[in-house]
Amino acid sequence: MITRKALPRRTFLRGIGTAAIGLPFLDAMSPAMAATTKSPVRMAFFYVPNGMIMDAWNPSYEGAFQELPRTLKPLEPFKDDMLQIGNLTHNTGRALLDGAGDHGRCSGSYLTGIQVKKSLVEIKNGISFDQIVANEIGKQTRFPSLELGMEDARQAGDCDSGYSCAYTNNLAWRSETQPLPPTLDPRALFERMFGSGQPMTPAERARQSKYRRSILDYVTDDTHKLETSLGPTDRRKLDEYLSSIREVERQIERAEKDNQQIDPHMDKPYGVPADFAEHFRMMSNMVAIAFQADQTRIVTFLMTREGSSRPYRELGIPDGHHPLTHHRNQAELMEKVRVINQYHVQQFASIVEKLKSTKEGDGTLLDNSMLVYGAGLSDPNAHLHEDLPTIIVGKGGNYFKTGRRVLARRETPMCNLFLTMMDRMGLHVENFGDSTGRLDGLDLA
Amino acid sequence: MQFGRGKPSAGAFYDSDFTTIDEVLAVGLLNGLQGKNDCRVAIVTMSRPNLAVCGYIDMVERYYRGSAGNFAQVPPIGMRTTGQPGETSAAFTAPFASKKRVNPVKTVIDTGDPNTLFRNYLQAQYDQNGFFILAGPATNLAAALEFRGMKELIAAKMKYLVAALPERNIKADVAAAKKVLAEWPTPVYVVGEDIGTAIEFPGASIDKEFAANSPENPFSDAYKAYKPMPYNAPSWALAATLYAGRPKEGYFKASEPGTITVRDDGKLGFTASAQGRHQMLSVDPAQKDKVLQAYIDLTSAKPVFPQRFRPPVADDKKADDKKSDVKKIIEEKPQ
Repeated sequence: MITRKALPRRTFLRGIGTAAIGLPFLDAMSPAMAATTKSPVRMAFFYVPNGMIMDAWNPSYEGAFQELPRTLKPLEPFKDDMLQIGNLTHNTGRALLDGAGDHGRCSGSYLTGIQVKKSLVEIKNGISFDQIVANEIGKQTRFPSLELGMEDARQAGDCDSGYSCAYTNNLAWRSETQPLPPTLDPRALFERMFGSGQPMTPAERARQSKYRRSILDYVTDDTHKLETSLGPTDRRKLDEYLSSIREVERQIERAEKDNQQIDPHMDKPYGVPADFAEHFRMMSNMVAIAFQADQTRIVTFLMTREGSSRPYRELGIPDGHHPLTHHRNQAELMEKVRVINQYHVQQFASIVEKLKSTKEGDGTLLDNSMLVYGAGLSDPNAHLHEDLPTIIVGKGGNYFKTGRRVLARRETPMCNLFLTMMDRMGLHVENFGDSTGRLDGLDLA
Repeated sequence: MQFGRGKPSAGAFYDSDFTTIDEVLAVGLLNGLQGKNDCRVAIVTMSRPNLAVCGYIDMVERYYRGSAGNFAQVPPIGMRTTGQPGETSAAFTAPFASKKRVNPVKTVIDTGDPNTLFRNYLQAQYDQNGFFILAGPATNLAAALEFRGMKELIAAKMKYLVAALPERNIKADVAAAKKVLAEWPTPVYVVGEDIGTAIEFPGASIDKEFAANSPENPFSDAYKAYKPMPYNAPSWALAATLYAGRPKEGYFKASEPGTITVRDDGKLGFTASAQGRHQMLSVDPAQKDKVLQAYIDLTSAKPVFPQRFRPPVADDKKADDKKSDVKKIIEEKPQ
């Protein structure tokens, strides 16, 4: 008779001070002789601003992927894990009598499906779909959801024609008046994930820095105790996992050191790297760890904010992103936007690769995830809100049939996709935002 | 008032099954009204699942709207996907013999869901600044009344519905006609059997005004392919559309208010009542020439592409640029 007691899924390595490190799924967490434990499904939204040059986003065909269009090329190794959905529309991003401000509206309404109130002070949106899911399943994880960003966390001021920055700088909304501002600083995210759940105080951080201690040093005792009870496979898995945390920690330390050397007056939090790709890699590595350790199942990631005028000098593009997207069909400007669009996808591909290379159960972490990558505008020059660029990478636990492009009927609400995803996350609701039903044509498993 | 900041002209919603040439020409008339700033064409929807017909109507819409530009799109034609596709007249396929015309509708993906389009485009209208035209079976409109929040939206945004309800349209879906007349939340004006046959669209204008005013128009080939020429076409849809766009012009007589009901045999009944929301439209013999003149001038008008800011036109509603010789055309009416 087998009596081995399974390790609880929500086991933490705890140590001196506030360190608390969640664990990846280990064989020891499966009750002996039990049927295969079902892995949880995770979902994440990666939002890119200012639309896309659509001729480089949409392939000329429907159905199984052949050659990917230029912007999606970085995802070529993962195209069998990808589903591209065309013709989804956010009507609530349109003017609807509110005049200029497509950028403010489209990001504000992206996950809420609500027409936001045009105002700088009287903020009004709706609860976002990720938060509806978080309210339902968030209790099962350490963090109901994580909100991340990379550019601008201002919550006030005019960010687009009378629309508050609250609309352009947040994707997740806890209620119609309360956005959840994204964490921009990798150090703050790290401390939140592996500490008490809150960023460290300056005194705590200074003490840790003085002794140059890793967060892993604080949990050494717990780690050793756990290792003795694990089999060789689990020990290797644990070692790889802790190494990945240490690698993120080193990346943050390097960024902090570089920041001190490059520009002590830079207008960014202390630990934010100047390099866009490096910043994304650090943040997304932590998303991967959070998913692996089941610290959260829901992430929203504002890669840059809507209306962003960030230049991409690393690509030889000194012009601002947003001004470029008003290209007036000038070939030279459009080409620069295509390069930026592809660069964003290239960054996104790095987390796809990370999840794909992380084993979970009989498959990978990517198999059990739904990573939505998209924008709130399609053609930015015309400010169009239909045929929004949308891909889902990951099968959502064998839910989506991937490796193909599916076209919905024109004007199909984006919220129909959200309803379909909510079903997968275990939440069955009849309506959300301006939905008209579940999304047809996905051949769900 | 600052230029561009005023309330725009009324948003027009047109729904039909497009089984007669009259219902097709009415799309031209509606766009002619838009060219005179009497309305803005919001959306055109179709109450039968027929891609060939839908493709033709989409092509017509693109002829009038031009290509998508800044902050504007060419919306899809809303098409019902259930029911019978019905016949596809040569009127809808013959125009594509010209290589200049491209059918943009290949599959159902290229069309829109009528309810979604109604909802989306109603939300874009100012309150009490739009109208519906029903020129076919009431199937789509009855379905809209069942859609979440639609009845309230229609009541808020729409001023009235003008319904072309000859027996043919009623019999195609009696239950829907009953429902719409009973539940539609705005005033309803009904074009009954008599108007359509009393004032017929003059087929002779196809080779005259249409050829002269807009030689590239998509109607001439359709009209000629619909039936052997020469023929005149009954005008239920044209009448409904003209009244909807210019209700104060006096083209038709409106009855006292009352309640219109649909009988099982497809006939209409009318009971006068001061609180009634329905009115019957009828021919005013004194206005017949004026009506025909408007039919010809508006359907054969050159496209005026929608502009983002366009002030309401108050005085030029009667000032059509080219007056065709209506009396002559009427005299040439084929027997």
